[in-house]
Amino acid sequence: MQLFAETNLFDFGLVGRQLPELLKYLPITLELAVLSMMIGLAVGLLLAVIRIKRIPVLRQIAAFYISIIRGTPAIVQLYIAYFGIPMLLKYMNLHFGTDFDISAFPGFACAVFAMGFNESAYNAETIRAALSSVDRGQIEAASAVGMTYPQALRRIILPEAMTVALPGLGNSFIGLIKGTSLAFTCAVVEMTAQGKILGGRNYRYFEVYVSLAIIYWAVTIIVERLLKFVEKRLELPEQIDKNAEASEEVKDKAKAYAREAETRYDTNKKPEKAFSQ
Amino acid sequence: MIQIRNLKKRFRNNTVLDGIDLDINEGDVVGIIGPSGTGKSTLLRCINLLETPEEGEITVDGTAYSLSAHDRRQTLELRRQTGMVFQRFNLFERKTALENVMEGLVTVQKMPKEEARMLAAGELERVGMTEWSGHYPKHLSGGQQQRVAIARALAMKPKLLLLDEPTSALDPELVGEVLETIKDIASQGFTMMLVSHEMNFVRKVATRVIFLDGGKIVEDGTPREVFDNPRSQRAKDFFAKMHLLKQPEYTI
Ligand SMILES: Nc1ncnc2c1ncn2[C@@H]1O[C@H](COP(=O)(O)OP(=O)(O)OP(=O)(O)O)[C@@H](O)[C@H]1O
Ligand SMILES: [Mg+2]
Repeated sequence: MQLFAETNLFDFGLVGRQLPELLKYLPITLELAVLSMMIGLAVGLLLAVIRIKRIPVLRQIAAFYISIIRGTPAIVQLYIAYFGIPMLLKYMNLHFGTDFDISAFPGFACAVFAMGFNESAYNAETIRAALSSVDRGQIEAASAVGMTYPQALRRIILPEAMTVALPGLGNSFIGLIKGTSLAFTCAVVEMTAQGKILGGRNYRYFEVYVSLAIIYWAVTIIVERLLKFVEKRLELPEQIDKNAEASEEVKDKAKAYAREAETRYDTNKKPEKAFSQ
Repeated sequence: MIQIRNLKKRFRNNTVLDGIDLDINEGDVVGIIGPSGTGKSTLLRCINLLETPEEGEITVDGTAYSLSAHDRRQTLELRRQTGMVFQRFNLFERKTALENVMEGLVTVQKMPKEEARMLAAGELERVGMTEWSGHYPKHLSGGQQQRVAIARALAMKPKLLLLDEPTSALDPELVGEVLETIKDIASQGFTMMLVSHEMNFVRKVATRVIFLDGGKIVEDGTPREVFDNPRSQRAKDFFAKMHLLKQPEYTI
């Protein structure tokens, strides 16, 4: 430290002093990550279901889409979105008479789209694996009580698959938070971009990147904690009390119902039917 | 009254069901027996469309459904008239016993939650599982799980209850409680098809026994007729192999 102080090589205090300036942009970073993750989850689930249910045509399209996304760098996808989406809007304005204001279309939205769709291709595999880990028997049981596949998916399959997918999806969310630093390609000033701007002012790039590292690391630790917490919440209890759900009142009513049901079915009973023991 | 006509199912080049015709009267308890791999499970699974046969038709209370060509609506309608109890219970792992029974009522029948809760509690009472309503499947023994599964099927008020070897995944000491439950509901007038290897039990509880072999119904009659006087050689051989008289008796 002494050496650093004398030579002024590393301004230790600056690392701390810059934190508030950078933290102002943390909300943008988090917004990018959360919105992209939402797209990534929704589209990822759709792709996973298409693949699991082997829906013809859509299945081939899904495989093609995943192959493209996985086969190209994220930064290239971001540039394509940034230049491509305005072109697409312009084309639509020309040919369909729509009236999109191209100059107003924000880079932020482009970045969210690009990162969200990128994320979806990777999530699709995690979600597919989780969905297929759910025991077939339960899905058959759901069909047997008359549920449709979407009902079974929502009520039975997803709740169970979620516990399996959570660690993997959590990891990719953490990756996404760090990946948002690529959003500068779409002219979005998030935390890392702001760091670069600060560094450009005083040429203290090293200090500002150390500050950024500290923030990303702290955010990651917090998110990891949150995920652990959610995982714990999703665990089924180890042990349960007998009669946990059955108060005396419920029991009495249940007995009454059971009796009533019995008499109802008894009327169906064939008189000639005998249970000879 | 349930009529099954010309049910044919094959897996690739393996013809499992070769034109099954079957009339089941209300209140019948049809025991289905036969060698392993003859298609007993497949028969039940075709009836509630977990498998799609190549040909076949079923009529439930005058409404005819094609088993081989059915749209979504018909599939759901038919499934809602049948209930299924599986060999491996297949309870919903992330739901308590009570929620397992409520699930179909709430999701399929759109019953208000409170009403479904009461009705489900009533069904659990009927199978003697009230104390365990709050337990998840992983907290229940196999026999208890199967009783919950029976309650779950009964709650939907099926016109036909299908039971596929409901006791064969159970430890021997747990078989009795499940058989007892089945006997109770049989005596309450439910129409049932019961696949089982517990010959003594089938003999006691069934009003009619069917012996399935080679994709066809080989024997069809009262338990006494089929067990004591089988006409076909195949059934005779089968009973000889089963050591029918040496099987443990479940006294219930
Ligand atoms: N999905 C499938 N694909 C191919 N063959 C199948 C399939 N399901 C069942 N089979 C075949 O169909 C035949 C009948 O099977 P099924 O399970 O109905 O027999 P089962 O009478 O219930 O036998 P068990 O008493 O052993 O339960 C068997 O030869 C089996 O190999
Ligand atoms: Mg079977």
